[in-house]
Amino acid sequence: MKRNLVVFSLIVVVLGLGLILTVGCAKKVVKETAEEKTATVQKEAAAAAQPAETEEQRLAREKAMKEAAMKEAALKEEQERERALAAQKEKEAAAAAIAAAFADLRFDFDKFDLKPEARETLKKAAAYMLAGKDVTVVIEGNCDERGTVEYNLALGEKRALSAMKFLVDLGVDKGRIKTISYGKERPLDPGHTEEAWAKNRRDHFVVTEK
Amino acid sequence: MDKNSYLSLFTVHRSLFTFYCIVIAFFLVFGLTAPSHGRVYIDIDSPTIQKFPLAIADFKNLGKNPDKDKLGTWFSDALGKALQVTGFFTIIQRNAFLEDPNQAGITTDSIRFSDWTGIGAESLIKGGFQVNGKELIAEFRLFDVIQGKLISGKKYTGKAGDRKDMVLKFASEVLLQLTGEKGVFDTRIAFAGKKGQISEIYTINFDGSELSRITNFRSLTLLPRWSPDSREMTFTSYRDGNPDLYLLDTSSRRARKISGFSGLNLAAPWSPDGTKILMTLSKDGHQEIYVMDFREGRARRLTHNYSINISPTWSPDGKRIAFVSDRSGSPQIYVMDADGENQRRLTYQGNYNTSPSWSPKGKRIAFEGMVGGSFQILAMDEDGGNVVQLTTERSRNESPSWSPDGRYIAFASKKNGRHRLCVMNANGSNVRILHEGMEGYDNTSWSSRSNLY
Repeated sequence: MKRNLVVFSLIVVVLGLGLILTVGCAKKVVKETAEEKTATVQKEAAAAAQPAETEEQRLAREKAMKEAAMKEAALKEEQERERALAAQKEKEAAAAAIAAAFADLRFDFDKFDLKPEARETLKKAAAYMLAGKDVTVVIEGNCDERGTVEYNLALGEKRALSAMKFLVDLGVDKGRIKTISYGKERPLDPGHTEEAWAKNRRDHFVVTEK
Repeated sequence: MDKNSYLSLFTVHRSLFTFYCIVIAFFLVFGLTAPSHGRVYIDIDSPTIQKFPLAIADFKNLGKNPDKDKLGTWFSDALGKALQVTGFFTIIQRNAFLEDPNQAGITTDSIRFSDWTGIGAESLIKGGFQVNGKELIAEFRLFDVIQGKLISGKKYTGKAGDRKDMVLKFASEVLLQLTGEKGVFDTRIAFAGKKGQISEIYTINFDGSELSRITNFRSLTLLPRWSPDSREMTFTSYRDGNPDLYLLDTSSRRARKISGFSGLNLAAPWSPDGTKILMTLSKDGHQEIYVMDFREGRARRLTHNYSINISPTWSPDGKRIAFVSDRSGSPQIYVMDADGENQRRLTYQGNYNTSPSWSPKGKRIAFEGMVGGSFQILAMDEDGGNVVQLTTERSRNESPSWSPDGRYIAFASKKNGRHRLCVMNANGSNVRILHEGMEGYDNTSWSSRSNLY
């Protein structure tokens, strides 16, 4: 009984495999035939349109095609470079506009009142902020190294607040301006000359575009 | 007190170590006619104070074990250094000594006092030690060589590692006996130490030892102010972008923000009773002085003025506050009652006077003023009179802070681009560099005594 079952199973397996092979081979044959046919048709068409080209002609044609492709790629690259450059220029122009509008304001020793140059700078800053540019600014008040830490923290704050008040008076929304004082703790120029001190007594603007 | 002998025993407990301090029973050959510190040998308040000549003999090995750690010279050197730091003594060099150390002892009857008066000494310190395993016993004796008598003697028992504390404890005793007040060896000076764009709070001992950084905020951190018991400290830090006020537990070194209004939240001194702090806030657009009572947890404004009001300091009784205002057009020092009433100007010399610090011993206020283009430390009476310039070097001298005994002033100095933390005696003499090499020292604040010595 068992033996019969084994023999039967074997027969089934062999038959099964045979069937699979037959089907697979049949498909392949069909495919190959189709491809051959297509190839033959194409060759014939080419032969009819043109006289058979020489090896040299073929190489020249391929070279020309390659060159054309390269030219096209180079052109594309060039265009992209130009676009990036334009974007960069635009960005730089925007930064330059910000830098021009938000230049550091200078102050006299132990003073926080705005000098005429500072007022001109602030007018530019206000114009920039009111021209629809979506920016916020932090005004950082700074002092030179002379005097007490605490008094200079207060003085730096007064300097930042002077600039803020001027901008607000020109119509800039107060919510777009923040102030912070670093007193004498963050000198721009570490020197100990009057020239260095003059640079360090400043309001510096940190402009953030939204 | 028994004229011939006395003995007292007390125990000092402290976190670092415990050692026993025994006031030795001395049989006083010459007798003690006055109470132990009835006479003040050095009047440090005298305007013409002279340094007091003091000799310190090398300590004797009283034990059986050899002095392999050279403690004999270590004790005399360490004591000399500690007393030198006070600025009140000239320590006579040992190569001037006449005494034969092999012949002389450390008790009154075994000292030839003419050997010491002969070299100009007015006081003499002698001592001895013995090492028994890990135990160290040290005896210290202070003599008046002119009268040829013992002024004070102490005996300390502890471990070898306690010897510096023994020395400072006796140095403090020497000060008590000779000047009427013990030393400040157990005080620390806090300051903001700068490095590049940031600063952190550091503390350092009175003698310049044990520098310790106590914040790690990695931002601008300024204005340390000790609580009267030195257990807490307030300071200002830009850690979160704005100058906010923090309260720090000095033992756990945990800090929490206690004031974070927009604008300045500047730390200022604690009231002498420790219940209140002063601070400067600019939340209303101008810098005003506030007082905050910890029990109420609410800040009350003391100044009402559109100009700068900053740097307040309490009088020692807590009844008045000196501060800086530019209401007259330049920064000057003003004083007001603790409730903000009776504001009046104190300084009229020069056009830049800031950083007032009120002496804990009363009637003088130290401050920083611009004198002919340089910044100097000055002091005046509490009514603004009797102004004396204390520092004279043409450098930038800033941020004065008094020691708790009112005898010293710590300050920050900058000369030729070099920054230093300095201490001087209250009369401007004996300027001593505590630390140098950082890129800035600011906002000195002197702790109270911790009663170790």
